[in-house]
Amino acid sequence: MADARVTLKLENIGKSFAKVESDEVIHALHNINVTMESGEFISLVGPSGCGKSTILRLVAGLITPTLGKVSVNGKEIDGPAPDRGMVFQKPTLFPWLTVEKNIAFSLEMRGVKKGNEDKVRRMLKVIGLESFKDDYPAQLSGGMAQRVALVRSLISEPEILLMDEPLGALDAFTRMHMQDEILNIWAEKRQLALMVTHDIDEAIYMGTRVLVMDVNPGHIIADIKIDESFPRDRSSASFVKYRNDILNKLHFGGKKA
Amino acid sequence: MLPENQQQLCDADADQLTSLTREQLKELETKEKTAKEKILEGITIAMPVICGLIAILEYTQIPDKSKNVHPERYFYLLCLSIAAYVVYFIIALVRKRAGVNATYERVHYKAPLFAGLFVFLAFYDYMTLKTGILTQPFVPCMNSIINAFCKDYMMLLDCTLNTLKLLLLGYSAGVFLGLITGITCGYSKKVRYWIDPIIKFLGPIPTSTWIPVTMVIASSLFGGAVFIIALGAWFAVTVASMTGISNVDKDFFEAARTLGASERQLVFRVAIPHAMPSILQGCTQGMSSSCVALIIAEMLGVKSGLGWYMTWQTGWASYDKTFAALFVICFIFTMVTKGLEKIKRHVLRWQNGAEK
Repeated sequence: MADARVTLKLENIGKSFAKVESDEVIHALHNINVTMESGEFISLVGPSGCGKSTILRLVAGLITPTLGKVSVNGKEIDGPAPDRGMVFQKPTLFPWLTVEKNIAFSLEMRGVKKGNEDKVRRMLKVIGLESFKDDYPAQLSGGMAQRVALVRSLISEPEILLMDEPLGALDAFTRMHMQDEILNIWAEKRQLALMVTHDIDEAIYMGTRVLVMDVNPGHIIADIKIDESFPRDRSSASFVKYRNDILNKLHFGGKKA
Repeated sequence: MLPENQQQLCDADADQLTSLTREQLKELETKEKTAKEKILEGITIAMPVICGLIAILEYTQIPDKSKNVHPERYFYLLCLSIAAYVVYFIIALVRKRAGVNATYERVHYKAPLFAGLFVFLAFYDYMTLKTGILTQPFVPCMNSIINAFCKDYMMLLDCTLNTLKLLLLGYSAGVFLGLITGITCGYSKKVRYWIDPIIKFLGPIPTSTWIPVTMVIASSLFGGAVFIIALGAWFAVTVASMTGISNVDKDFFEAARTLGASERQLVFRVAIPHAMPSILQGCTQGMSSSCVALIIAEMLGVKSGLGWYMTWQTGWASYDKTFAALFVICFIFTMVTKGLEKIKRHVLRWQNGAEK
C-alpha cells in the first residue's frame, strides 16, 4: 500500500435535514465512524436514501455535519476546496466554456497562471479527447462529458477524489469502459478515492474497500476489504462471493438450501 | 443488391468518405435538380432584375399627374438598386465556382423578396405620382422623398447624430444600472427585499407615462429624456437578469465551489455567464422600449433629433421631409437591432453547439 499521505476521519457523524414543507426532520446519517487513507478506493453502496451522497457532500465541505467531526489529517473540514475534487452524477460542465476552459477552471479560480495549457493538454490526453479541446460541452456525448468532468476535478491534483455516482447516467458499455479508465487514472497517483454507487458489481470491481450502508437512519452495516488485484474478473468465484456477501447484508440474498 | 452503376459509385466514394467536407456532404445528400427546377431557380434569381425594369418603365413611361422636380434622382436610385443586386449575384456566382454555396443560396432565398420590393415601389409610385390616388404632397412619392434627402441632408444628419447620442446615452445608462440591480437582486435576498417592491410598483407603468412628469422636474430636457430612455432599458434588463441569476442551477455553484471558486467568482464566473441568455434577451427588450421612449420624448419635448424633426416638418407641411426622417429612423432601428442580434449570437455561440 502507498504511504498514507492523507487520513480522512469521520467521527460520530450525524446529519439531519429539516424538511421544507413540514416540521419533520429527516435523519440522514447516524453514528458514522470511518477512517480512510490515501491509496484506498472506497466504494459506498446501499439503497437510495441511505445517506451515501450525504457522506460525500460532507467530505466535500458542501454541507456541515449536525453532529461529529470530519477531518483530513486531523484538520476539520471547512468548506469546499480543490484538494478534495468532486465528480457529480451529472457532468455539470459549464456550457459557456470550451472543454479546455472547463478543465482549466479550477486552476483559473486559484489564480494559477503558469503551465495551465500543458496541464490541460495532459489531461485531455489521459481521456483521449485532444481533438475536442475547443468544443463546447453541448457537443459532447454523456460519456465524453463525464470524462471531462473527471479530469476537471483532477487537474488540481486533489488528495481526495469524491465521485457521486459518476457513471450512473451512462449506458452499460460506456460504463464498463469508464470503470477501467477511472481505475487507470487512480492507479497512477493512488489518491484516496471515494465513490458512491448503487451498482454492487461496480463497487466490488473498482473498490479496494466497500462500505455497505442501510437506511433509517443511514448507517454503515459492513466494511468489506476487497483483497484482489486489478484488473478484476467479474465472473471469478471470489467476485461472486463478495457480491453474495453484500447482497445478503442488504437482505437481497437468495435463501441457501 | 444495388444496381451495378450505383455499386461502382459506392466503391469509388468509399475512400472519399473519410475526407468529406461539410459542403461536399450537403451536396451529396441533396438530390440532383431536375431541368424544371433549374429553370425555376433561374427565373427566381432573374426576378428582381425584371421587376426592377418594370419599376423603371412604370416611372419613365407613365405621365406624371403632379409636378415632379429632379425626376432623374429616383431613376438613378432604381438603376443603382438593380446594379447592386446584379453585383451581389455575380459575387455569389464567383463564390459558388470556388465551392462556397452559401452566398448563392442566400441570393436565391432573398430574390423573391427583392422582386417584391421593386413591385411595391412601382405600385407606390403609380398610386402617388402617376394617379394621385394617394394625394400629393400628403403621401409624397419616392422621388420627392429623395429630393427631401438631397435638400436637407445636413439637418437630417445632425438630427440623426442627436438621436443616436440620446439613445446610446440613455440605453447604456439603463443597461448598466439594470445589470447592477438585476444581478445584485438575483444574488442577494436582502437587496431583493428592497428593490423588488420598487420593480413591482414601477414596472407595469409604460415609460411614456413619465414624460410629462420628467419634463417638469428635470433640470434639462436632455437629462429628462435620458432618464426616460434609461428607465425602459433599466426595467427590462433588471427583470431579465434577476430571473436569469436566480434560475442558475444549484449544481453549477456546487461544482464551482468544489473547484475552488470564491463567492466573487461564483457571481462573475458562474452566475453571470449562466444568466447571459436571459440578460441579452432583456437587453433586446430594453432596446425596443428605449426606442419608443426616445421618439416620444423627442416629439414631445426635446428640441433636437429625428422625432423632433418629424413633428417640426409636419408642422410646416413638408411631408416629404417627414417621410425622409421616417426612413432614417427605420434604418437606425433596424441597424441597432441587427447589431444587438450579432452581439447576442457571438456571446451565446456556446448555445448552438448541439447542432453538430
